[in-house]
Amino acid sequence: MSESRYPKPVRRFLRFFVGNSIVERILISIAALITAVIVSSLIVLVAGYLSGEAYNPLEIFAVLVNGAFGSPFDLDSARLFTEGWSPINFSMGTTLKETTLLIFAGLAVAVAFRGDLFNIGVQGQLVLGGLAAALALVWVAPFVPGGLAGTLLLIPFGLLVGAIVGGLYGAIPGALKAYTGANEVITTIMLNTIATGTAFFLVSAYFADPTLQSVKTRPIPDFARLNGVVFPQGGQFSLVALVLALLATVGVYYVLRYTSFGYDLRVSGKQAKAALYGGANAEKMVVSTMTLSGALGGIAGAMWSMMVIGAWRQGVPSIGFDGITVSVLAGNNPIGVIPASLLFGVLKGGSNAINFQLGVPPELVAVLRGMIILFIAMPEAFRMLGNWLGVKPEPAAATGGGGDE
Amino acid sequence: MAQSTQPPEDDTGGSTDPSPAVRMENITKRFPGVVANDQVTLEVERGSVHTLLGENGAGKSTLMNVLYGLYQQEEGTVYLNGQEMDFQTPQDAIDAGVGMIHQHFMLVDTMTVAENVTLGNEPRKWNGLAYDAKRAREAVRELSDRYNFDLDPTAKVEDISVGEKQRVEILKTLYRGADVLIFDEPTAVLTPQEVEELFRIVDELTEQGKTLIFITHKLGEAMEISDDITVLRDGENVGTVDPETATRESLAELMVGREVMLDVQKDEREPGEPSLTVSDLVVESDNGVRQVDEVDLTVHEDEILGIAGVDGNGQSQLVDSIVGLEVPDEGTVELYGEDVTNISRREHIKRGMSFVPEDRQARGLVMDFDLVENALLGNQYDPSYTNGPRVDWGTTRNHAENIIDEYDVRTPNAQTASESLSGGNQQKFIVGREILRDPDVIVASHPTRGVDVGSIEFIHDQLIELRDQGKAVLLVSSKLDEVQQLSDRIAVMYEGEIIDIVDPDDVTDQDIGLLMAGEMPDSYGGDGE
Repeated sequence: MSESRYPKPVRRFLRFFVGNSIVERILISIAALITAVIVSSLIVLVAGYLSGEAYNPLEIFAVLVNGAFGSPFDLDSARLFTEGWSPINFSMGTTLKETTLLIFAGLAVAVAFRGDLFNIGVQGQLVLGGLAAALALVWVAPFVPGGLAGTLLLIPFGLLVGAIVGGLYGAIPGALKAYTGANEVITTIMLNTIATGTAFFLVSAYFADPTLQSVKTRPIPDFARLNGVVFPQGGQFSLVALVLALLATVGVYYVLRYTSFGYDLRVSGKQAKAALYGGANAEKMVVSTMTLSGALGGIAGAMWSMMVIGAWRQGVPSIGFDGITVSVLAGNNPIGVIPASLLFGVLKGGSNAINFQLGVPPELVAVLRGMIILFIAMPEAFRMLGNWLGVKPEPAAATGGGGDE
Repeated sequence: MAQSTQPPEDDTGGSTDPSPAVRMENITKRFPGVVANDQVTLEVERGSVHTLLGENGAGKSTLMNVLYGLYQQEEGTVYLNGQEMDFQTPQDAIDAGVGMIHQHFMLVDTMTVAENVTLGNEPRKWNGLAYDAKRAREAVRELSDRYNFDLDPTAKVEDISVGEKQRVEILKTLYRGADVLIFDEPTAVLTPQEVEELFRIVDELTEQGKTLIFITHKLGEAMEISDDITVLRDGENVGTVDPETATRESLAELMVGREVMLDVQKDEREPGEPSLTVSDLVVESDNGVRQVDEVDLTVHEDEILGIAGVDGNGQSQLVDSIVGLEVPDEGTVELYGEDVTNISRREHIKRGMSFVPEDRQARGLVMDFDLVENALLGNQYDPSYTNGPRVDWGTTRNHAENIIDEYDVRTPNAQTASESLSGGNQQKFIVGREILRDPDVIVASHPTRGVDVGSIEFIHDQLIELRDQGKAVLLVSSKLDEVQQLSDRIAVMYEGEIIDIVDPDDVTDQDIGLLMAGEMPDSYGGDGE
């Protein structure tokens, strides 16, 4: 029992998190959210007291929700709900835009985790995937008829290019690990820097839009972008992208649960020796898992280019890193990635409103966001740590477990 | 705590105190869904070796964990030297003079023997500010000498043998003043020589008045070492017997609750065509040492070929190259005349090679997965369980239930995680999965290691049944009696070489024993097959 190497209090502590069922884990997450709200309310009160401002925590959380969903609650009158509120609005679009991108990034990290690989490199895969998609679309668009036909052709094409480039860039650390034993945590971190630097160099040296001063590619033609569907134009959000994200989630879940490849991936992640025994090729599994992970990251990048910016420019937000937190929040379960991404989206969308409407300093808002994420992520993080250290839920009843008597 | 450096002198060993060293009265301990101990009464004489015998899951460890304060009983009382005890934690038990030597050692590899022994009760100097390494060394040396342990207090634990590590564990309990020592399956990790050494130490300890409790499921050693044997079955004490009068058969019957055939029943069979041929096989370790040295073997249809040998003489590497988990450095492996030396493990499975691995918890089963998912291991690309890239979970579930039924795997249902099964049931599940694959060749590596008597009989019968169906069976085991009873021919492996192939009916235990030690017995010329 490898767990006996760790001090008893540590074991007892981790044991609490290891053996929980799905329902218990969801309940723990909800309890953590409530605790986070209470604790951050206290922080807000103290911060307000110290700075001489009277912040009302309730108001802050109401504004957070309103900011994320486009003011469903009427705070100024006795009525609870805003008259004529519709879920289709600009703020909601912003929240769902973040959610969509994070679903792909979260799935990318989750797939790797399930194969016992820590892909910190989603950010790099996303940067290069996004750049490749933007360049490919700018280059191919003139040869394709405009209008609906062109859109139907180019959107899948752009996403595919993102997936391929992201996948290849994910395959590099995979191959390095499989054939040389280089730790993927180290290599992916280095490859992140290389990706950002390479993209910056390529765009500034060769692909920059000559009409602009900034490091930005030529714009992707309008018909090749993921434009606002149902949601207002200009909101940088397309319902199509969200639908694709949900389909991708179901797809990843299906691959993991219902295919031979997914079975090999999960066994490799749980018990590498058993995977070899069962006929899996360890090297191939590492490379293909990292490729799949990188491809999902690449799609996130392509969507950022095609939906948010309409080009590629330097300064890609840290979606890939947030994907790690999303995946941890979700317990590395693809389906769980959806609510985890939504939570992130809401926090991102809503926190701007707190700053604008209430004048709460952005630093304090960041603290609130961090508190909520930290509280919800910690139980899952401890669960993963416990599993990783080999902590078992409860001491076995007898030699070898007496559950059969 | 420095006072405890000196274990208390055994002043209670005389006849002045008639009460037994340990008395556990009507102990009942329940776990969710299981009564692990049901009104168990156990009495252990002072200065004796008392063995708790029982199958896996019979409640032996639970009972001892109650005595050691790890578990609290629901009913019943524990007495030490006639005094009622109430242990809430192992520390209480240690303070009262109860020590436990666990099967898995709890030692810090990078620290010395003396540091490990004194850990938690370190002698101190400078008013308790610093660890007094010198006094620790001396105390440990003195203890080691007193019981003839032959341990160097300054050696690092990572450098010493498994047997020595166990002695460090024993020393640890003695250092803390233990009078009653509980050994949890102490021989499971030891070589035969180390077992003898342990038994010598056991004598030494009892001579000096210590009381020893052994947990085991091995009949032979229970009879060899004990003054009394208490048999537990399904959490109940089914009898305390005197090893002088008991027989292996009667003990096995008590343990299992029915008559057990300890001797394998099998008919002679003519071997058929060669199925598996290994020629000039060489496996080298990373630093160039030959772990398998030019091995030639042929396993025929209708034949069980046994490989006997002390663990670590290259059997694992030989097996790995045969089943496709390792590519040998030289030589070939042929299945029905086709060269399979360099093909993948998956291709081996496809060509009808089944493999019962030595390390079932690392290789044979995914511990976190339930039995349905484990029934798929190795079959995940077999068209009978898949539909293109899709796994047919319905068929797989039926298959898992099939294994559970046919191989008497005791589990609540197929959705149970394999780690909550006992070792014997895990093994039965693996054997069932590998046999139901309908292989042409099956390689069984230590198929009954850590398995209880009832399951051993069953697994043996299955292997013979397979042979009788015309399959080729390669059996690797470090248990000599197992190899002798099952095999049609025995290959003895020593330091990577097959030093002889013998007929089990023509050789004595002593001859095989000598061969396993690398020596040619004088009594026969070695027919050099």
